[in-house]
Amino acid sequence: MDTESKLSYYINKANVISDYKFEKKIRIAILGSFTVNGLEEVLRVKSAEKKIECITYIGGYNQYNQEILNQSSNLYRFVPDITFLILDIRSIMGNLFYVPYSLSVQQRQDFIEKKVEDLCNLAKIFTNSSKSKLVITNFSVPSYSPYGIFETKTEYGFHDMIRDLNVKLTNAFKNVDSVYIYDFNRFVSLHGEKNVFDFQQFHFGDIKVSLDHIPYLAHDLMSYIIAVTGLSKKCIVLDLDNTLWGGIAGEDGFDGINLGPTPPGNAYVELQRHILALHQRGIILAINSKNNLEEAIKIIKDHPYMILREENFACLKINWDDKVSNMKEIADELNIGLDSMVFFDDDPINREYMRMNLPQVFTVELPPDPSHYAVLIQSMNEFNVWKITDEDTKRGKMYAQQHERKKLETSTPNLEEFLKQLELRVSIKKADPFTIPRISQLTLKTNQFNLTTKRYQEEDIARFVSDDKYLVGSAQVEDKFGDNGITGVFIVRKDTPKEWSIDTFLLSCRVMGREIEKGILGHIIKEAKKSGVEKIKAQFIPSKKNKPIENFLPNCGFRKEGEYWIYSLNSTFIIPDYLKVSA
Amino acid sequence: MSDRLYKLIARVMNVSVSKISDGTGPESIESWTSFNGYVLLYELEHEFKVKFTLDEAIDVKTVADIKRHLKNHGVILND
Repeated sequence: MDTESKLSYYINKANVISDYKFEKKIRIAILGSFTVNGLEEVLRVKSAEKKIECITYIGGYNQYNQEILNQSSNLYRFVPDITFLILDIRSIMGNLFYVPYSLSVQQRQDFIEKKVEDLCNLAKIFTNSSKSKLVITNFSVPSYSPYGIFETKTEYGFHDMIRDLNVKLTNAFKNVDSVYIYDFNRFVSLHGEKNVFDFQQFHFGDIKVSLDHIPYLAHDLMSYIIAVTGLSKKCIVLDLDNTLWGGIAGEDGFDGINLGPTPPGNAYVELQRHILALHQRGIILAINSKNNLEEAIKIIKDHPYMILREENFACLKINWDDKVSNMKEIADELNIGLDSMVFFDDDPINREYMRMNLPQVFTVELPPDPSHYAVLIQSMNEFNVWKITDEDTKRGKMYAQQHERKKLETSTPNLEEFLKQLELRVSIKKADPFTIPRISQLTLKTNQFNLTTKRYQEEDIARFVSDDKYLVGSAQVEDKFGDNGITGVFIVRKDTPKEWSIDTFLLSCRVMGREIEKGILGHIIKEAKKSGVEKIKAQFIPSKKNKPIENFLPNCGFRKEGEYWIYSLNSTFIIPDYLKVSA
Repeated sequence: MSDRLYKLIARVMNVSVSKISDGTGPESIESWTSFNGYVLLYELEHEFKVKFTLDEAIDVKTVADIKRHLKNHGVILND
């Protein structure tokens, strides 16, 4: 966020936010070693703007130790979902902040070790006593040193102490899911020490983040709230003319648009580089632009300075249709909610139109000068997730590959020919410690092609895997456009030596419609035959969303017997010849 | 100018302008907490392009004090 409203705006607005239509709720505790007034109001208003109702608890002034150590404190009674522990280096170092060189090198190192240990213990006690996520601020390295220019020559000097404290704290919690270190030192670097720390406010009221920077701090902390409430955005929908390049494709032409190493074209190159980086961490890209398709596509494909290419986009709506209808179509095609989309367009009228018609889409307010576009994208906190998994980093690419498949589908005369051309490969694996988390995730998330919609946590899957009576497997699907990852799951229970039953059978919507299910079922039947099983029992449990799998069992030769479907192993099951199944 | 000052104080303290007079201060307005007192000084500095000293900031107890310090910084308020 480039500009922020004043603190008084938030303080006033905080009094009148009861009439918002909230969709989520979060309980936030704020503990601080100094005056953090105002932060609570800003967080409540910023949360309300995202339809999050924010219930807050403010710890007593510099009482964070007592509140965390006392198991019956108001903090624990409040039962927070997320707790911000906002500390400052003066409180941590005490008098040593002013006279760091009153200690020897060894004593300075021991001092920092002790502080890290204390903070780690405090965090441990808190996480053992509360289910709340914990965000601890790190420490700003001051520009001042009593040693002046000699500071950088000094072994384990004043600045080294604070830097070391920051590194040790970050490392201590790197693998602790529920604890995050917020890089307050980076915040101060971004805004400037002289701006963030106002001596008059400090002396007057122990205010260590100046009043005009509290909204900026709250903006950063909102990233954690967005991540915890699951409101992170998944997709950026981009305009083209004067957004990804300068000028109008239809008027200025391929050679006339501004895009390249010299100004103003370099501002657009810079923006595209940042968008590509987001794409590589899993953000889906799409285009919603009023343009002649041929002209725009030629630029995207062939312009020497385009960074984002056709293969980066999961959906391209380049036409003269209404931008709102295009937006709805993009959401449908990608099978994601409008509320997980961001709209990025230079035209204020388009933005207003989008806000009026699709308020659930996050429409970014662009500054008039394109050289600020890149910094705007960098400062957006809407893409934050609590954890970036391997599967997430592949997502953007997978959706873009999906676009290539769609193109082939529409250009191929019939479905079978299309499926043949896809060169589908299904590799089936028994569940192992590497695949258990993904298998559980799929049982929790998959709604449409899910025979029984049974939801299982990781520990449930691990239990099945260690039980001889169960056969648990996953299917990874690849085709000529790329790897779809693990997108199929089956759990089979071996009821008797002669009869097995299918407990769970599902496919991610990403690979539906390619008869992958027949490849997986064929594998189960083969395994059953090898074990001398005579029949496989299955059940279809209808839900609001699993209509796509309704006819799967009868289509595969299962016969209805009472409430179950039975497959007799006497019959021959044919796997479509365009599927290469390996196990 | 007093009008401009009163409106600003009323906005920060979240009360109606009619409640503001020279004698107004933490005693008469509940929302005039010490923290809102800092916020008020900060807003005054932005609005009237002045910078109060620490002594002046500590000295502010009522609206009349604000007027006096603004006058010292050359801000002319017409009553």
